[in-house]
Amino acid sequence: MNITQLPYIKEIYGFLGSDVMSGLVGLLIIAALVPLNVAALVLAERKVAGHIQLRPGPMEVGPHGILQTLIDAVKLLGKEMVTPGLTDKPLYWLSPIIVVAPAFVGFIPIPFSPLVQIKDVNVGFLLIFAFSSITIISILMGGWASNNKYSLIGAVRAVAQNVAYEIPLLLSVMPIVMMTNTFKLGEIAQAQSGLWFIFYQPIAAIIFFIATTAETNRAPFDLVEGESELVSGFHTEYTGMRFSLYFLAEYTNMVIAAALFTTFFLGGWYGPVLPGAVWFFAKTYFLLFVVMWMRWTYPRIRFDQLMNFAWKVLIPIALVNLFITAIVLKVI
Amino acid sequence: MNTNPYGFNQYIKDILIGGKSLVVGLWITLKRLFTRIVTVQYPRQKLTMTANFRGHIEAIRFDDTKSHHCVACGLCARTCPSHVIKVQGEKTRAGDKKVGTRYYIDFSKCSLCGLCVDVCPEQTITFSKEYELVYYSRWDTVIDIMGRLEGSR
Repeated sequence: MNITQLPYIKEIYGFLGSDVMSGLVGLLIIAALVPLNVAALVLAERKVAGHIQLRPGPMEVGPHGILQTLIDAVKLLGKEMVTPGLTDKPLYWLSPIIVVAPAFVGFIPIPFSPLVQIKDVNVGFLLIFAFSSITIISILMGGWASNNKYSLIGAVRAVAQNVAYEIPLLLSVMPIVMMTNTFKLGEIAQAQSGLWFIFYQPIAAIIFFIATTAETNRAPFDLVEGESELVSGFHTEYTGMRFSLYFLAEYTNMVIAAALFTTFFLGGWYGPVLPGAVWFFAKTYFLLFVVMWMRWTYPRIRFDQLMNFAWKVLIPIALVNLFITAIVLKVI
Repeated sequence: MNTNPYGFNQYIKDILIGGKSLVVGLWITLKRLFTRIVTVQYPRQKLTMTANFRGHIEAIRFDDTKSHHCVACGLCARTCPSHVIKVQGEKTRAGDKKVGTRYYIDFSKCSLCGLCVDVCPEQTITFSKEYELVYYSRWDTVIDIMGRLEGSR
């Protein structure tokens, strides 16, 4: 399944060829897809959590509770947006708005199928990584502006954690770039028409998965919002829709991370019989399931363990892996 | 073999053992994910209490009289360590047995010791299987045992 087999689609939707138009349509689709997707993921998370703990999860709203998150969204919309007294008002107001922006930008270079991609930008995944760092700035802003010691500790932890885990994240992707000689996600996915890169680069895949889990502040790396010690971390003081914007960003970042993993290591849209986009989404949602599964399996790690793991284990192994890849590519 | 706890071999060993333990943990939760759920959807489904569950006491209905066998002897009221029980009876005809007509317990003070059940000469009281014990007022905790028996007919 590639573009050459389906020339007529390009003709029918020829007006989508222009960048402005495809960008506009793409962003509209993303704006519609992201909240619905998050609603589905929150429900899935609660169901997975429930069944791992031998309970059914939400069951009351709709059959098997499938409307639960929609009702929760209505509840959050109806809530008062409390601004505590001694907050830094502009930053407090701005932080949940900024946190959503990278979540939307992250979808631009992701190739859901050869046709369904908003724009295969030259810098490719570097765009996503660069914008995902903005998330951390807004977390720091939110934690700082809340004027709450728990929020601030959570925000400081977020910064330290993300600085540490961005290095293995990039180092684990570099072997892929060396193998494909491109940053474009579409071309990286296309290079896996034969064997998926997870079989060439299993160690890089594992490191990438761990690092993205840490980057998205998911358990077992969710020290940022460790509710047993920090109430709720950086979004302790946020209520209503502002709180749900943080939630939206967290789950959307998870989707982007899983989509990147699919593109880099699981062969993107390649798969038998079914069309490409279906395979891509199947792989992405399987990875999201793994992330949820991990969350409800592992206890939260301690902060020194978190730092040791990044600096003493992930980064050296990622460097050695990169080195070996470079030698092997040079020799072959 | 390098046995230095900070040596390279130990480093590799730690990573491998740690990785194995992570996989074992994931396998355990995956099995749980496909196990039958054990919780009960409470207002719709209710558990049956076990045979030795102790709710507040209740009178047993016997088939011969279609009612309780209480003779209002007051042994239960006298043996009760918390003075929870109040029982009254009346004798309708001379020569008849006394028959219990009113039986109240103040469940807020009851410690469920079961002495009343043990001491009853007619063996007409037992523990109920009542577990939804939520009241709006402390006066609601006064339970009319005989009325309960009438009401359940």
